[in-house]
Amino acid sequence: MAKQQYVAKNKVPLPPPDAEVLTTACDYCVVACGYVVYRWPVGKEGGPKADENALGVNYPVPASSGKWISPNMHNVVLVDGKQHHVIVIPDGDSKVVNVGGTHSIRGGCIAQKCYNPNSPTKDRLQFPQIRVGDKLVRTSWEDAIEIMAEVSKHVLENYGENAWAQKQYSYQFFENTYALTKLAFRHIETVAFAFHDNPSNAEDTPGWRDMGFDNFAAAYEDYSLADTLFISGTDPYETKTVLFQSWMLKGVEERGTKMIMVGPRKTTGFAYAESKGGLHLDLIPGTDTVLHMAIIRVILENGWEDKEWIEKFTASKWEQDSGFGRGIRDTGWQWRTTWGKLQGNDFGQYREWLLSQKEAELDEASRITGVAKEKIIKAAELVAKPRADGTRPKTTLCMEKGNYWSNNYLNTASLGMLAVCCGSGNRPGQMVSRLGGHQRGGVKGGLYNIAKSPEKYPGRRRKPLDLDRWVEGGHVRYAYVVGCTWTTAMTGSQALASTLEKLTRGNPHQLTGTDKEAAIETFKKRVDSGGMMLVHQDIYLRDPIGSVIADIVLPAAAWGEDDFARANGERRLRLYSKFYDPPGEAKPDWEIVAMFGKAMGFDGFDWKESNDVFEEAARFTRGSRKDYLPLVWLAKNKGVKSHELLRAYGTHGIQGPIRYQDGELIGTKRLHDPTVKLPDTGPQGPTIHSKIMSAFNTQSGKINIQKSPWDIFSDFFEWQSPKEADGELWVTNGRVNEIWQTGFDDLERRPYIIDRWPANFLEIHPDDAKARGIESGDELRVFSDRVPVQVSGWQGVRGAGKLDGDFSFTTLLKEGHIKLEKASVSAVAIVTPAVKLGVSFMFNLHTKDPANSLAPRVPDPLSDNYRYKLGVGKIEKVGESPYKKSFEQMSFGRRDLVWEGDDDNAKA
Amino acid sequence: MQEEHGSPTDRPCVSRRRFLLTSSGATVTSIVLASQFSKTGFGEELLAQVAAYERKKVASLRDLKVDTPAPIFYPFDATDLNSLAFIVKLGVPASGGVGPNSDIVAFNTLCTHVGGDLSGTDKTYLKEHKILGPCPLHLTTFDLRRHGMVVAGHATQSLPQVVLEADGNDIYATGILGLIYGKHDTAALPVVI
Repeated sequence: MAKQQYVAKNKVPLPPPDAEVLTTACDYCVVACGYVVYRWPVGKEGGPKADENALGVNYPVPASSGKWISPNMHNVVLVDGKQHHVIVIPDGDSKVVNVGGTHSIRGGCIAQKCYNPNSPTKDRLQFPQIRVGDKLVRTSWEDAIEIMAEVSKHVLENYGENAWAQKQYSYQFFENTYALTKLAFRHIETVAFAFHDNPSNAEDTPGWRDMGFDNFAAAYEDYSLADTLFISGTDPYETKTVLFQSWMLKGVEERGTKMIMVGPRKTTGFAYAESKGGLHLDLIPGTDTVLHMAIIRVILENGWEDKEWIEKFTASKWEQDSGFGRGIRDTGWQWRTTWGKLQGNDFGQYREWLLSQKEAELDEASRITGVAKEKIIKAAELVAKPRADGTRPKTTLCMEKGNYWSNNYLNTASLGMLAVCCGSGNRPGQMVSRLGGHQRGGVKGGLYNIAKSPEKYPGRRRKPLDLDRWVEGGHVRYAYVVGCTWTTAMTGSQALASTLEKLTRGNPHQLTGTDKEAAIETFKKRVDSGGMMLVHQDIYLRDPIGSVIADIVLPAAAWGEDDFARANGERRLRLYSKFYDPPGEAKPDWEIVAMFGKAMGFDGFDWKESNDVFEEAARFTRGSRKDYLPLVWLAKNKGVKSHELLRAYGTHGIQGPIRYQDGELIGTKRLHDPTVKLPDTGPQGPTIHSKIMSAFNTQSGKINIQKSPWDIFSDFFEWQSPKEADGELWVTNGRVNEIWQTGFDDLERRPYIIDRWPANFLEIHPDDAKARGIESGDELRVFSDRVPVQVSGWQGVRGAGKLDGDFSFTTLLKEGHIKLEKASVSAVAIVTPAVKLGVSFMFNLHTKDPANSLAPRVPDPLSDNYRYKLGVGKIEKVGESPYKKSFEQMSFGRRDLVWEGDDDNAKA
Repeated sequence: MQEEHGSPTDRPCVSRRRFLLTSSGATVTSIVLASQFSKTGFGEELLAQVAAYERKKVASLRDLKVDTPAPIFYPFDATDLNSLAFIVKLGVPASGGVGPNSDIVAFNTLCTHVGGDLSGTDKTYLKEHKILGPCPLHLTTFDLRRHGMVVAGHATQSLPQVVLEADGNDIYATGILGLIYGKHDTAALPVVI
């Protein structure tokens, strides 16, 4: 029987007037709303009159006051060992990001993230542990680090750098990512490296990066200045919540912005867009490229493209081939060595190419994408059709993973070309940007030495190493996994987990005691016999990477437990203040890395506090969108710590790249802006006037024109598409508003969210449900016996000049590089017409039932990104879930309810 | 502290109320209220901090029509705008529902995100879905069959549910679950400035 977990509270303590006040930002999604922390010792409380509380307001407060404290915004923590109340509340005085203190359900509950032994966070990792037999037992930091170092030295000496792997989050603050990459790239010098969401050191959106668009060029204000927003592969209402609330809604309300939402499933933001004159382009997963090309064709046939802008800001063939003596042959674009298959030369030649493509024709495009022709035409009108007075709609195009994790290279290139037709990318309200997932907390402390990668594109260029395939091939002997689950978050999750388990637990060399010397010898024997040692460093024991696979588990200190810095989705840097003690012996990741680096005998790991790392890392941001070197330089001139100078900017922060000018720091609102005012006398102090500030990121500063031939992808797409005769459906996946990532905080330790989502779910169309006898609340088995996993195929030597050589899916399959795995997960059915017929949808990262298990583990050969969203499976009812006939947990309510104009009822 | 807030100290339930308020101090306390709320539509174990008040008649069974919400004030009267709630007969059973079909429920009308006004039930009560919303500010929706749980949106707790008791033809409100938007204490009356 489902039993409610949440204890609804009817009171919160108010901070007394003398409560300490610290600033931070939310730890979760890329938007990073500003938050204020009120902290005071347990034993007293403020009162409801303005002069009795630290917020300085009378309670009750009015709507949108930014001063209401929800019970989930309160917690009790330890500060220097003494119990303190903390209120973590969105900054009601904020003029940026979360204007007026609005928030998401995730951020609004973030106080519950803090370690409190009287709460469900009581199982935070507190001490280093080592696996003896089947159990993890406590060990000392000294022993754990020495064992790690000795086994690492043995692996490096005998098996080389690429046998030592690092898998890490990529986003968890500048200080930590710098330390980790300094270790991996500058000292270990491995290329067996991947971030949490990628099998290799791949770019997220290579198609439009090759064109010259920065991923995070836009300012949040741009989303309120556009006449049309083209939003692909995400519902920002669900996943970039406050960007939608504060900025997109503002545009709709103030200027009537039309939103075009692209995706196979309708949620609140999609329904809202439709109700306000926008569009839902309900495409079949993976077909975005064709949709973009068809819209472009309508634009070109009508002559709606922004000719003036294209003339001024796109490169000619000569400009594409020229530039600083390097030219196009040395760009990432040609490194992908399809040698001309993607190169558009110039807009005129692109136009000819596009009009010759059958997939861009309306009938064919509608057939492939499943989107009605009328909608495609309407979309073209909304994004590009000039008005009667000749003015053009301002269009901003943005996307997230539903787009680029289904057909990575081609989707991003073709969306970039749609932006070119709209004249978007470098003007207020006319920008091109990723919306983002995690916050931007990465600083690389060394160079990924691609020359050491065994992987090659067809032709001569090296390609980053696919770590998952490298593990599958048995080449990794030591793995250092930091702040990510690895298996759950990759495609073919269950297949990968079983490989990792085989290499660790499946090896005969296991510890029988905690003795350090014996442990070192055992692990050496294990790696010499083809096995692997794995260290997992995290805040909780994660399943299975920590609970089953890891040999050593290290406790990390995280958000609120040290001073850290990070940027958000508009490059806004803020200081995230430490406000309470980490649990037990947990340490921030940079400090653990420093201990390990010293044990390895490496120099440069003598940091005393996180500010030291922040200052050292600054020079590695020079010229990037997060360039904060001028801040560190100014702080040193003022004789203060750089963290303290950043702290003085509070929740407002400052947008990178940061410039120093006439005694002040100046932020950069948007990138690629040709009107940006830079001093005639040149940059001052350590400032770099990088190209991305005022021009596109190519050798010419203009957009490179890109083609997107469907046939690079179509053989895989056809093979992967659900086979109706076998009863298969698309089992696509994504995030849900209420759950942050794998749910380590909310889905597993936040009773209110546990009640909302006690199990993974599967949304299915009523017709597909009926055919399978499924009703909302039924327990389902979702399974496949044909999950393709690429296990080999490293070197592209033939096929130069076109991609129909080694790396096409057809060839990989034919030559035995693909094996077919089985996968099966459970889910509770939600029958809703909000999901397209033939498509079902699950939450992607559920630890117990990871929908990614059904997604193909065959990366895009052009970019090495996975096609996470193209899961396929069969679905059958196994019985009724406990939630079907109880009302205590889980709602089957529709998530696409909005009002239609002034109708009496909401439109569904 | 109850007196300062102008609580109805001369009412019969005050001792129970005082007990509850005293128990819900700065640290979180769970109270199992099975016996106290045996006549309500809640399950055997109501794991919640219920702020209990005077037993106040809010509706008559025979006056309630399916899918026709009616405004009520609870826990205080119309002088406290944060007390504006509504009672509705859903026509299908619900958690906390009273009446012969366990389908009569009542909720506060301030969105627990940032206080949006959901009281215009001619629009916000979605009869086909038994959902309240979307909130006019940021579109949050609440499931009225499931203690006002957030369906989609941003609120960090459910819509505060008014605890009901059915006694013959009369329906009484006896308590409220959760913190009403704007307040720091559901039991507190507005500060008189």
